[in-house]
Amino acid sequence: MISTGISGLDEMLGSGIPEGSKVLYSLEPGVDGQLFMISTLSCALAKKQSCLVVLPNTTVDAFRNDVQAMYGPRPDLAMAPVTFFDAIDWERILKSSRSPEGRARELQARIRKLCRQHDVDIIFVYFDLLNEEFGTDAAAVIFISVQEMERKNGITLIIEHLNLEGPDLPEHFIRDMKFDLVLAIRSSFRPFPQFNYFTLVHTSWADLPVRSVPFIIGEGRIIPYIPRIVVTGPASSGKSTFVLNAADEGHSVDRKAQEGGMTTVALDFGWIRWKDFDITLYGTPGQERFDSLLPSYLGHAMGALLIIDATNADQLPRARLLSDMIARRRIPFAVVVNKNDLTGTLDPELIRRVLAISNEVPLYQISATRKTDVNFVLESLVDSITQFRY
Amino acid sequence: MYTYKSGIAQIDEKTGGFDAGTNILILGPPMSAADQLAYALTKPIPGEYAIVLSTNERAAEVVDAFKVAGADKRFTGVIDAITKSSTPGITDTTRLMFVSSPTDLTGIGIKFSNMVECIFEGDFADGETGLFPPPIRFCVNSISTLLMYRRLEVLYQFLHVLTAKLKKIEGVGVYLLNNESFDDKTLSLIKQLMNCVIEVKIEQNVNMMRIRGLPGMQGDWMKFSVSKGQVTILP
Repeated sequence: MISTGISGLDEMLGSGIPEGSKVLYSLEPGVDGQLFMISTLSCALAKKQSCLVVLPNTTVDAFRNDVQAMYGPRPDLAMAPVTFFDAIDWERILKSSRSPEGRARELQARIRKLCRQHDVDIIFVYFDLLNEEFGTDAAAVIFISVQEMERKNGITLIIEHLNLEGPDLPEHFIRDMKFDLVLAIRSSFRPFPQFNYFTLVHTSWADLPVRSVPFIIGEGRIIPYIPRIVVTGPASSGKSTFVLNAADEGHSVDRKAQEGGMTTVALDFGWIRWKDFDITLYGTPGQERFDSLLPSYLGHAMGALLIIDATNADQLPRARLLSDMIARRRIPFAVVVNKNDLTGTLDPELIRRVLAISNEVPLYQISATRKTDVNFVLESLVDSITQFRY
Repeated sequence: MYTYKSGIAQIDEKTGGFDAGTNILILGPPMSAADQLAYALTKPIPGEYAIVLSTNERAAEVVDAFKVAGADKRFTGVIDAITKSSTPGITDTTRLMFVSSPTDLTGIGIKFSNMVECIFEGDFADGETGLFPPPIRFCVNSISTLLMYRRLEVLYQFLHVLTAKLKKIEGVGVYLLNNESFDDKTLSLIKQLMNCVIEVKIEQNVNMMRIRGLPGMQGDWMKFSVSKGQVTILP
């Protein structure tokens, strides 16, 4: 298996990309997604795989400098033997023949020769100019045919392409060119400006759901990222306990309440690095006087958890109010029935009825004091978030 | 919604300026004042930012031109598609970013997004004015160069994305195109992406312009001159 260099993505793919695959990284214009290709290249080189990089629009020096400037030093890329076909080689091909067919033949022969000479395992292609010169299909066929001719070596083909044509293009690669993995790297202005995410559009070797995962670039790598999960619920339902038990690092702002117990006076924060995801949890205060703040917390949230106390039926009307507020945001959410380890807990069907939630909204009966329960809820919510269509 | 002043009294008085999200095509022959007009319309006034995608001169030259025009260079960013081909080791700063060549549409798109993001996050310059969304003037200095390297259909799609993005961030775009080097099909296709077209011509050594698509302007030819970033309509 070939690693993408993003462990969260590798895990979704079932430990990486099978050798011999055809892969498309489809970049929406303006999205800083070049690191996907570079991460995969870097990982392949670290594993001593022989790589050919086809970059017709730049020179080797400019490419190495760009990689270092954008994403920090990549010793694998600087030290390992990589075979390049760059802008200078491309100029030679353009001069070699007057007809596009002749140039395509020349390019194919050149790529094949390089693959044989260097016993290439993976071809990385920056597709943009080739697509323009030969057309999408003809340009792809040049490399697919090399892959087939040199099949005994099981060469993997990875293409990075600037997608100016919209969603039809990835579909074309899947349907007509039988690509094995198509990853679309996109951006959106929702839930906030410059929101980047990648969508796992297709995998041929496993029947995986279409998933969209937000990401940020930090420390020279892609970090799958969930910027905000709101944890809300009536007072004393166990939100702070949930956030603190979920988090690697957390900050509770509980203070002693007039009634004698502890209560949250601002927001609880929790930061989690979970399965390569960076997740931030926002635990809201439960009292009604803070309700005016809730829409703004939910405004940029990607998911929400409504925590209720399984032993306290009096909280249900208030929980219904909060549930309605969340539902209006149309984001993935789940109801977490906490304190389920105590006696006298409410019937889940009754809770569903009072909250007026359908069976599509998950309802978990847990104890927030148990980290395994908390992790299970988070895992399920992250799963829903990554399958949500933005 | 924010309105971008053109800096030309006669136009601003009649129209109030350009609405946020306006994309302006400047069509002019070589050796005319079309490029100076483009820079004059892109020059940021206090509280605004400017981003220039330079496909035909180095970043330093663009910055100098804006300095001469009286722009505050702290609020001017350049995406330079020229320098890197001769100086591969050159590195980006917040306000000066480099792409390998005008063919590199992927790089241009990314650098544009990065610069806009930097402005939105308030990391672009000291003395941010706090307007949100931050007013951004964007200039491509020229589409003609891009058309020399890339096919019309590809460039059309790319500009379609770019102009849409500019509308989304409520900026204003100024795109320069040499109308003598390209056929009518090319000009008409590029015009489709724009809300406003300014045509420039030279008659008897005098620059003339007419504006189409800007409500309040008649579309008559007007004599003009540009000096130190200031456009003057001549009688």
